[in-house]
Amino acid sequence: MDASEIELFERSVRQATERHSGDALDGALAELGWPDALADDPPTAVSVLFPLQGAANVTSSALDEVVATALGVPPTSREAVVLPALGTRTAPGDARGHRLSVRGLGTARLQRGVRAVVVATRDSNGSFTIVTVSTTDLTLRPVEGIDPDLGLVEATADTVGFEPGPDGAGNAWSAAVVLAQLALSHEILGAARSMLALAREHALDRIQFGQPIARFQAVRHRLAETLVAIEGADALVLATNDSPSPELATVAKSLAGRAALTAARHCQQVLAGIGFTAEHPFHRYYRRILLLDQLFGSAHGLTRDFGEELLQSRQLPALLPL
Amino acid sequence: MDLATFRKALDDWLDHNERELAPAHSGRGTLADNMAQLAKVKRLGFEAGWMRWGWPQRAGGLGGSPILRAYLGEALMAREIVGPDVYSMTEVLAPTMINFAPAELAAEMVPRLLRGDEMWCQGFSEPGTGSNLASLSCRATRSDDGWRVTGQKVWTSYAQFAARCVLLTRTGSQESAHRGITALFVDMDTPGITIRPIRTMHGTDEFCEVFYDDVAVPFERTLGEVDHGWAVAMDLLPYERSTSLWHRGAYLQRRLERLLATVPAGTLSATEIGEVTQLLLAFRARSRATQYRMADGEPLGPETSVDKVLIATAEQALMDVAARGLAHEILLGDDGIAEYWRAAFLYSRAATIYGGTGEIQRNIIARRLLDLGDDR
Repeated sequence: MDASEIELFERSVRQATERHSGDALDGALAELGWPDALADDPPTAVSVLFPLQGAANVTSSALDEVVATALGVPPTSREAVVLPALGTRTAPGDARGHRLSVRGLGTARLQRGVRAVVVATRDSNGSFTIVTVSTTDLTLRPVEGIDPDLGLVEATADTVGFEPGPDGAGNAWSAAVVLAQLALSHEILGAARSMLALAREHALDRIQFGQPIARFQAVRHRLAETLVAIEGADALVLATNDSPSPELATVAKSLAGRAALTAARHCQQVLAGIGFTAEHPFHRYYRRILLLDQLFGSAHGLTRDFGEELLQSRQLPALLPL
Repeated sequence: MDLATFRKALDDWLDHNERELAPAHSGRGTLADNMAQLAKVKRLGFEAGWMRWGWPQRAGGLGGSPILRAYLGEALMAREIVGPDVYSMTEVLAPTMINFAPAELAAEMVPRLLRGDEMWCQGFSEPGTGSNLASLSCRATRSDDGWRVTGQKVWTSYAQFAARCVLLTRTGSQESAHRGITALFVDMDTPGITIRPIRTMHGTDEFCEVFYDDVAVPFERTLGEVDHGWAVAMDLLPYERSTSLWHRGAYLQRRLERLLATVPAGTLSATEIGEVTQLLLAFRARSRATQYRMADGEPLGPETSVDKVLIATAEQALMDVAARGLAHEILLGDDGIAEYWRAAFLYSRAATIYGGTGEIQRNIIARRLLDLGDDR
């Protein structure tokens, strides 16, 4: 897609995310050709949809499709992918001999699907394999939790029999993690930008001491701080979009998660009482970013892992050349 | 000249001339040592063409994208050939000089700066004019044969080494604020100029008080239009936050590499080192985009305040981590390496103060980027 095609595509995806959520959004995206765009140019498709999905606080099965596409498993309505367990970016399956155990999450698609695609590590040689099992072999628990709207499913299984496929899915899994982290970073920052927009609007509307609270430097600086955190993370996310790599995607996801937590802290304080109510939309964004931060590795965990690699290698990877 | 060709050829040249380019002094060196090193590197770089790429031909350059300048400075910082502080003045002053000086003046003067024949300084701040730049009061009055300048500037970096100064003066009434300012290009050896260096807490006479007592400046040395010096200042300030910040980022990455290579095992947590590296990378991604916007000819504006906040935050975070990891060197050490780290740490305390404080940058972000309206 060239720049003008992307702009047109973005406009229609925006309309879809503003009108629909859940199954309806999946349907609208299919009609718009988003799955084709994903197959064609994954980073671009991801960078168009996910910021808007985050900004509108809507849900879809797009993350499932992103992972399936990177794994080379064309998504169908009958198949769904098992995502890593909360806070981790490790493969959700553990294959020992002919027995498979699973600890992971899924989107709403997993609840409906007939078969589940599980990436598993092999005990024998540490390599990765892609296993397809029946969803009836998994224990599926629809998650209410802190963000019931997200429609997550928790998937577990202890001893599922399976026919081992070929090894050597490590590269596919690594690519899936990169693309998922990129998608989630975009979605998190979309949500952070919406929190900032809500707080900004409130600061301009809310009159105290005879003037909008946006006049007060304490308020202005909180919002400025929020924008700096978002823009710094976004620059890294966009650079990852241009040349995706495991290292950059990890940094992008960390920065996005931390920026959103910073945004939430400042924006909630500016929104004050009204932002603490269930009537104001702020809490929906907050719930969402708390969860998205924990998918495919959290800001905290990824930062620690990144730092461990740095301390071990004692070298700075040469990232982002001019 | 495209970037890939430039990068390869420059890297080869830097490798080949490693010994000649290395500083003559060991360790941190005095400010005079650093100035001599800067002049040497610029002269060698100019003669070989590197210092001329990315600058327009009408100002003694060889043309080509400003990206080439971004890479040149980055390569010099990565190899620790020159420091970002002394090197930055070129990137801060030359673009505005080219944009606003009469064509012949720019053609005459800019090559001297690029070749390292001269150092220049920037006369903006005054004792009564820090964050509120538009309130400056150093006065320029018309006489028959030119401007006469009287007043005081402060925090003028490297004034004691400078041959010229880009000086903001008051030509309107004091109440005219930003509407009555005129920018002048002043020879620092003009009678009536007195310079008093100020010792900083990191032990360098980095900046000065400069006193102007009835100093004669020819009318041909006016930059831009009379009473429109604010446009000159507004053109210059984003340059303080673009290429020179990219170079500073490269210097900080080099410090981080040194820290990783030398920090005693077990002194730093993975989380703190991971986080500070990510902060530097976020700045790098942001500033990298700024370099490309500049290369595409996009005007730079208030959005560069985001770059400035990012690097100031990253620099202080990095040096805080360094001060924990290398506590023995920074607190107790007396050798050249320890002095270098201690100076770098102490200097980082100013990162949120110079070039527009952190508060001023956030004010700009709030008013211009978030459109929160006036704060008064």
